Amino acid sequence: MKKSILILAALLLTPTLTALGQARPNGDKWKASVIDIEITGKSYDYIQPWAKSTRTLNKIGTVVGPREILTTAIGLNDHILIRLQKGGRGRWFNGEVKWLDYHANLALISSDSDSFWDGLAPLELADKDFNVDGLKIARWRSGKMETRKAEFYEWRDRLSQLSFLSYLHLRANTEADGLGAAEPLVDGDKLVGIVTGKGGDTLSAIPYPFIRPVLEAVRAGRSPKCGIFDFTWQPTRNPDTLEYLGLEGEPRGVTVIKVPEKKGRKSVLKVRDLILEVDGHKIDNEGEYEDPVYGHLTIENLTTANGRWSGDKVKIRILRKGKEMEVTYTMPAADYELDLVPDHIFDQEPEYLVKAGLVFQPLTEDFLRRWGSSWTSRAPFRLRFFRSKESTEKTPSLVVLTAVIPDPINLGYEAIRYQVIEKVNGKQIHTLKDVVAAFEAPQDGFHIVEFMKGSAAQRLVLDAGRADEATERVLARYGIPKDHYFKGEPTGAGLMRGPLRRRRGGD
Amino acid sequence: MPKRSLSLFLLWALAFSGFAAEPEKSVVQITNYSQTPNWVQPWRFNRVGAGSGTGFLIEGRKIMTNAHVVSWGKEILVKRYQDPKPWRARVKYISHEADLAILEIEDERFFEGMEPLAIGDLPYVRSTVTTYGYPAGGQQISYTRGVVSRIEMHSYVHPGNRAFLTVQTDAAINPGNSGGPVIQDGLVVGVAFQGIPGLENAGFFIPPSVINHFLEDIEDGDYDGFPLAGIQIQPLQNPAYRRMLKAPNDSVGARIDTILPKSGATDLLKEDDIILKVKDYEVGTDGTVIYRGNRLGVSVIFQEAQDGESVPMTVWRDGRELKVDVPMRVFHEDKRTGNQYDILPRYFVHGGLVFTPLSLDYIRTARASSEELIYELNYRRLEKADTMREEPIVLSSVLQHEVNANMGVRGQLLVNKINGVKIDKLEDVIKAFDEGEGDQHVIEFMGEGSFECLDRKAAAKAHEEILATYGISEDRRL
Repeated sequence: MKKSILILAALLLTPTLTALGQARPNGDKWKASVIDIEITGKSYDYIQPWAKSTRTLNKIGTVVGPREILTTAIGLNDHILIRLQKGGRGRWFNGEVKWLDYHANLALISSDSDSFWDGLAPLELADKDFNVDGLKIARWRSGKMETRKAEFYEWRDRLSQLSFLSYLHLRANTEADGLGAAEPLVDGDKLVGIVTGKGGDTLSAIPYPFIRPVLEAVRAGRSPKCGIFDFTWQPTRNPDTLEYLGLEGEPRGVTVIKVPEKKGRKSVLKVRDLILEVDGHKIDNEGEYEDPVYGHLTIENLTTANGRWSGDKVKIRILRKGKEMEVTYTMPAADYELDLVPDHIFDQEPEYLVKAGLVFQPLTEDFLRRWGSSWTSRAPFRLRFFRSKESTEKTPSLVVLTAVIPDPINLGYEAIRYQVIEKVNGKQIHTLKDVVAAFEAPQDGFHIVEFMKGSAAQRLVLDAGRADEATERVLARYGIPKDHYFKGEPTGAGLMRGPLRRRRGGD
Repeated sequence: MPKRSLSLFLLWALAFSGFAAEPEKSVVQITNYSQTPNWVQPWRFNRVGAGSGTGFLIEGRKIMTNAHVVSWGKEILVKRYQDPKPWRARVKYISHEADLAILEIEDERFFEGMEPLAIGDLPYVRSTVTTYGYPAGGQQISYTRGVVSRIEMHSYVHPGNRAFLTVQTDAAINPGNSGGPVIQDGLVVGVAFQGIPGLENAGFFIPPSVINHFLEDIEDGDYDGFPLAGIQIQPLQNPAYRRMLKAPNDSVGARIDTILPKSGATDLLKEDDIILKVKDYEVGTDGTVIYRGNRLGVSVIFQEAQDGESVPMTVWRDGRELKVDVPMRVFHEDKRTGNQYDILPRYFVHGGLVFTPLSLDYIRTARASSEELIYELNYRRLEKADTMREEPIVLSSVLQHEVNANMGVRGQLLVNKINGVKIDKLEDVIKAFDEGEGDQHVIEFMGEGSFECLDRKAAAKAHEEILATYGISEDRRL
């Protein structure tokens, strides 16, 4: 079936080839809807997690309703200032985030300023009757509206730019460059989608079928979260495997190979269940189903299709030990912390703890990205390996000794770094707060820090009685404003007396 | 020094002889026609390669050279100084760990007019040495002179996972010099063996202690290897750590961090024992000893022992001094993490599925980027030393045939179970297939937990045809 979509797309391409690359100067109908957005946000240095700086980026929004500008969520994390400009020139107005979801990669921005909204008009969302031949990308360029043609290519579910969530995207061919700033993809005066990026000649856009339920929910005052399937399946093309699983008749379905190991989350699916149908959609051996409008899509698309959210129930028909049955699966919310090494930590300063010159940080992909654009091959192997692992009951998260800031108290340990912490003072460590608690209970006057087995050294020992004064000394000598930052704490400049050192003062 | 940046000096070259004087008469040029196996399709061999190096005559009509000069040799030819006649040689003993080999030549006429070179002592830093060899494709013997720049423990590139005493010199050592003698006052003080690309005026040679260890080892006619103490030592310089262990004074003693399972130290030493002395060498807080005027890792002393010999140590435990004799044992358990030589890879083929042990050679040949494979090879055995699989097995490749064409895997996967049987070694694979009773064989992989099935009867039926199609004469090598 996928083949037939491709053929269709190819046919659609032919008559429009001559128009490729031609900028259309007249874009009047979109002038009242396309907004330039400038976002200034905090930028973090995970090598020195206490250091702060800012970054500024520009992107595009589309007015989609009264005081509603739709854009992608990317870049809005940790923002401190949002400014909006209409008409591609002139005054900037302050904006604010009304709603955003990083997994969905969508955000609604608004402005308190009445004068900003003067002259602006929303674009309506397109519907299935949109004209695939009429797609255009609209954006302000040097104060002028630029429109570029795009040719519909296919519907496909793709990973969100910011998440492991996979949902429906529209793909179209275009010669326009520099895309990915949430440019509106329009058909006449209808918004078909917002562009997330371009690879080769093909752009990807978050399309109206995904946007519509989001807008409806937000407008109804709800802030639902996207749901996911937290089980792992494998394609099951192999007839021998299907026979082993007891399937009779035509080959179909995919096999569950992993279910989450979390307390309080008893999986209704079991390993070796053959998934035959999800919400009435027949699943083929590749894990795809046939959508009447969008063609072949993978199972994952059903987590968000038709306005479905986390907490919603999904009927899954399975073959278990040769017997067909139906289970009701409740979708958990997409959450970065489902992974052992979270993809992103948004809207939060990097967590860290400095104790006697030892710098502890949670293992996150944000931390690993400090190795630059090729971090997936350059970051220390032992740390990046854990990216493929799930957060489990036994190992929900990892803490790493990322550096030793030289001080007399840590003499001899200066070269130790990037070691996953197993225990501190005999207590198992999963979070920085575990580290703090463990440091409260020294062993006969010593702090004993143990690393995951197979590390260069298995442990180090510190003088517990002098650890806090050493921390003060390290902070002062190296210009570190605070000995820690933990999620949820107030942020701010200057030396903050955090709870850790207050406790010491009370001893 | 990064291991990757080191390279072996072994070069394609043709030999002609030229003029020189003693002891060059005892220095030979070696040409090795070698053939390596293919670790991904282990029944296959790669094309024959030719390489050349240097060797020299020692007592007992033995030609000493580097192991890497003669590895995987099918046909080894040796030429004497200024003699165009090639003589056939064969490897009598080889130490891949120490990158040394002994060749023998049956034809006694070869030795006429040749005097064996004697092995001397470790040269002093700053003293002058001369190398003899056939570097860089030259036809004449070449001499280079330099000083001993530094003596330290250094990783040996040929095994890839061992470090021994190494001497660095600024005498030019180039490809083709490998296996040649480094001479001082008429005595061999080293065997030239490796260099660092891009680093000028730095060549490395194997010192007499390592050469002599090898020669003593083979005196009984067998090569056993270089034993290890089975301990990992960490510096003990932090005052708090020293106080916790009640260290006797601040200037001596390093800490035992890890004890390898099944080693000679297992029942004798404990983690956090402080090593004060090994033999008569006082151990510094960084785990080094002064060895012939050089500060070197204490393992230099352990490496002097032969397999099974005990080394006396003085350790500090619970505030008391203890004297223990720790037997040194040759450690084979980590051989898969290094380069392997001269032993053909084990494999088993069934229904077109090729199973072979996980090894560095496999990962390199397959250009496997699977983090799961790399983690299993390098880390999991350290993490779970007691429960580690004896010989992790990979599904190396799938030889396409209609019985397996629908399988969703093509190889580079670690095998967890077959027909419910946990796979600890290659023999388990064979047993699991032999004893499988269901209509399908069920092969489970590690990582995400994926699995595949193979029709049992169809696989058995297609077996011979697959072997014939792919030119595999034996379905297994054990």
